Amino acid sequence: MASVQKIEGLTVTPFEDKGPAQSGAELMHANPYRPWPARITSITDLTATEKLFEFRLVDERIREAFHHQPGQFVELSLFGVGEAPISISSSPSKSGFIELCVRKAGEFTSRLHEMQCGDIVGIRGPFGRPFPFEEMRGHDILLVAGGLGIAPLRSLINNIHDERSDFGNVTIIYGSRNPSEVMFRDQFEMWRHRKDFDLYLTVDHPDDTWDGEVGLVTKPFEKLEIDADHTFGAICGPPVMYRFVVEEMRKKGISYDRIYMSFERHMKCGMGKCGHCQIGHQYCCIDGPVFNYWEAKNIQGSM
Amino acid sequence: MLYRVIDSNELPALVDAFMNDYEVIAPVKSGQSYAFEAVTDFNDICLNYTTTITPPKKYLLPPHEVLFRFNAEENEVVDYMLEVTPRVLFGLHACDINALNSLDCVFRDKQFPDPYYEARRDATMIIGLSCTPTDACFCNLMDADEARTGYDLFLQDIGDRYLVSIGSVEAANILESACNPREATDEDRIAFRHMTRTRQASFNPAIPDIQEVPMLMDAFHSDPFWEELGGRCLACTACSSVCPTCYCFDIQDVLDHDGVSGQRERVWDACTSPQFAEVTGGHNFRADGRNRVRHRMYHKLNGFLAKYDRMLCVGCGRCVYACKAHISPIEVFKFFEQKGM
Amino acid sequence: MKTSMNTTAAPKKKLAVFGLASCFGCQLQITNMEPHLLEVLDQVELSYWQLTSSQPKPNDYDIAVIEGAVTTQEAQELVKEIRQTASVVIAIGACAVTGGIPGLAAPRFDERVEEVYSSTCPQACGSLQAPVPVSAVVPVDFEVRCCPIDPRDFVSVLERVLQGSNRSISTATLCGECKRNERGCFWGRGIMCLGLVTRSGCSARCPSLGRPCNGCAGLSKDANTASAKVIATEWGIDPARFEEALEMFNQQSMEDNCG
Repeated sequence: MASVQKIEGLTVTPFEDKGPAQSGAELMHANPYRPWPARITSITDLTATEKLFEFRLVDERIREAFHHQPGQFVELSLFGVGEAPISISSSPSKSGFIELCVRKAGEFTSRLHEMQCGDIVGIRGPFGRPFPFEEMRGHDILLVAGGLGIAPLRSLINNIHDERSDFGNVTIIYGSRNPSEVMFRDQFEMWRHRKDFDLYLTVDHPDDTWDGEVGLVTKPFEKLEIDADHTFGAICGPPVMYRFVVEEMRKKGISYDRIYMSFERHMKCGMGKCGHCQIGHQYCCIDGPVFNYWEAKNIQGSM
Repeated sequence: MLYRVIDSNELPALVDAFMNDYEVIAPVKSGQSYAFEAVTDFNDICLNYTTTITPPKKYLLPPHEVLFRFNAEENEVVDYMLEVTPRVLFGLHACDINALNSLDCVFRDKQFPDPYYEARRDATMIIGLSCTPTDACFCNLMDADEARTGYDLFLQDIGDRYLVSIGSVEAANILESACNPREATDEDRIAFRHMTRTRQASFNPAIPDIQEVPMLMDAFHSDPFWEELGGRCLACTACSSVCPTCYCFDIQDVLDHDGVSGQRERVWDACTSPQFAEVTGGHNFRADGRNRVRHRMYHKLNGFLAKYDRMLCVGCGRCVYACKAHISPIEVFKFFEQKGM
Repeated sequence: MKTSMNTTAAPKKKLAVFGLASCFGCQLQITNMEPHLLEVLDQVELSYWQLTSSQPKPNDYDIAVIEGAVTTQEAQELVKEIRQTASVVIAIGACAVTGGIPGLAAPRFDERVEEVYSSTCPQACGSLQAPVPVSAVVPVDFEVRCCPIDPRDFVSVLERVLQGSNRSISTATLCGECKRNERGCFWGRGIMCLGLVTRSGCSARCPSLGRPCNGCAGLSKDANTASAKVIATEWGIDPARFEEALEMFNQQSMEDNCG
């Protein structure tokens, strides 16, 4: 028997080799596993362990096709080290740039923290179901963040701020373990000062300089007055936080389907295939990471 | 669907015809059991095989595969071409064809069609073959005992001849050139009826036929049963290695010896592996056997159905043999059965 | 465009390879990389390799590779010194990772010394003590398991140390890998195989060559030994025999895993 001829299945080529004219959307669709080169354009130290990175996709076609919404994430590649899902921290209105707030927590993020402006990484995405920004328009918004949970919510907060006049009362409750871990404080304080937002910063362990709240993120709920029928809730934080915050929002009368939360799982492919981010019957990467409380109640093992 | 009949002695010519243009994968004897392997001689094929140790999914979703090659210093991909071998998967039972149909749901979805899977799938022909159930088979309970789609030819053994369902033009052309397919007669149709009735009667009656399994998976989600079943789990992942529908994978970067060039690989993973649901920072959303086994069963018997309207278990029975701790959907059905006594 | 993470100008990390109580087979395995060895070593500055050098050990290195079990007070001091000097410690081979074959001598250790040397133990032996894995003396950052190691695993770990990696290290046991090789199961033929509880990662090479797993990769921290003993009983093997077989490579980790 003659040996069977192999055939070309697909090719992956560096982006310089432009080949046939394809749009960015076509390129991304043709191979959604292929990360696209992105340059680090800015690095801001936020805390001892968190930095805000700003990226710009190098290929113009990809840059123009990249549209995200608050709550979505990207897969960030450092070739040789691996890939990691990271939620987008910037508002979609900051077009052409992607901001990621990254905590130094493992080998991958340690390598990223060593990188400098001008360095190249790989980015693919955006992935995931975002917060329902259009539905939220015209309503009061109550955002509750715990720790690094501020990263995805910041995208929503910034986006709301961009279109502030389209929203009613906006309240942010943001809890951290101690004052040195509070991120984006200057920005939030400025917006509070301008009466753009009601802001409750709270920490578990205050120091002498701390003039904000002390205690869990549920504590400020005591003072809140909410027009429940016209309010959307948005929650992101460590796994233990959700149950308690949801309970407070329910007590205030916010409907199941207007309490939105972003879940953390390890999305390895971002496309509902690899299985790592499964929660019950749902994939956090395509059905989430943003779910409303009604959906979450119907997912086995979600909370 | 178009049906024709060929004589059993025409089968070698059909397989030879496939061998001209395709690598033919077929069941062969392997130790005490069977395996799908490339064959070059029709006589090596075991037409009456029971079940292979591992399913044919490895030809569409290999245990290790390269997604692309890269240069770690430049942080960019370098040229890479995936070569695929045109293949005929010959002799697949209905359960395995249905399993590949489930993989198609995942890898050929509209939003994110998987180019690696598709390249292989497009270069693959599937030839089904009727079978006789073993004691561990329960495809009949999973609506997977019949392959309605997903094959190029399906050969129903009706004595000294085969009733052939023809699913594609390519296969029809090869069939016509290699054999003398004829119209089915009443006698053929009656033989087919007898064959299917005999098969239906051969399933193991000790495996309970449970109604509303997906609903029960939700209703008994907190039952202590899962502690008992999951408490036996060895965390070996044999279940998913042999499962024809398990498709979970990991994505890993592997560097060459120079530490600069390397490749990104997709490798099989399993939800029964202890680290599967771990996130950065160390939190594990399914930290024990109870949670892992329950999740696996839930996805097979409820979760996938919610998404794709079909069970992710095809009742092939492989895990029944592979799991030394006797964890399989059959145990779940027996639990439901006993709850209804 | 070079990224800072791989700046070629950065000085190479210094590597030192030490051998404790072992057959030195794992160090030898590294040389079995043959042509690739030079490529791999080009990524580091080799400052010491006990197997290949009679030079005294240096005082300065970044990455320490330790083969062998700790069987003397001198070795224990050496390991502590290595830990203080090196920023990364890699234990290679069963002896260093689980105590391995030397670990077999741990129970009733004093009696054994007397059995071999009667009342006077030669000075050259050093101050003998019950054998333990390296991790029992100091924290170990990375492990390369099995007896002997697969040199490719060693390279993979070394590259991880140099470049970083977010690959998760699975503690799944062996049967899943074995099934991928499409071999039947030894248990079905009444032969005891330790794959039920042994860490995966070796591709189940022994079973695929017709030999049951002897557990050289060590017990997985997630091994379900209780369940495995039930299985052994079902297949007609006395659980005590199963435990005894496990002792060959797990004398020092049995208590943690077997409870």
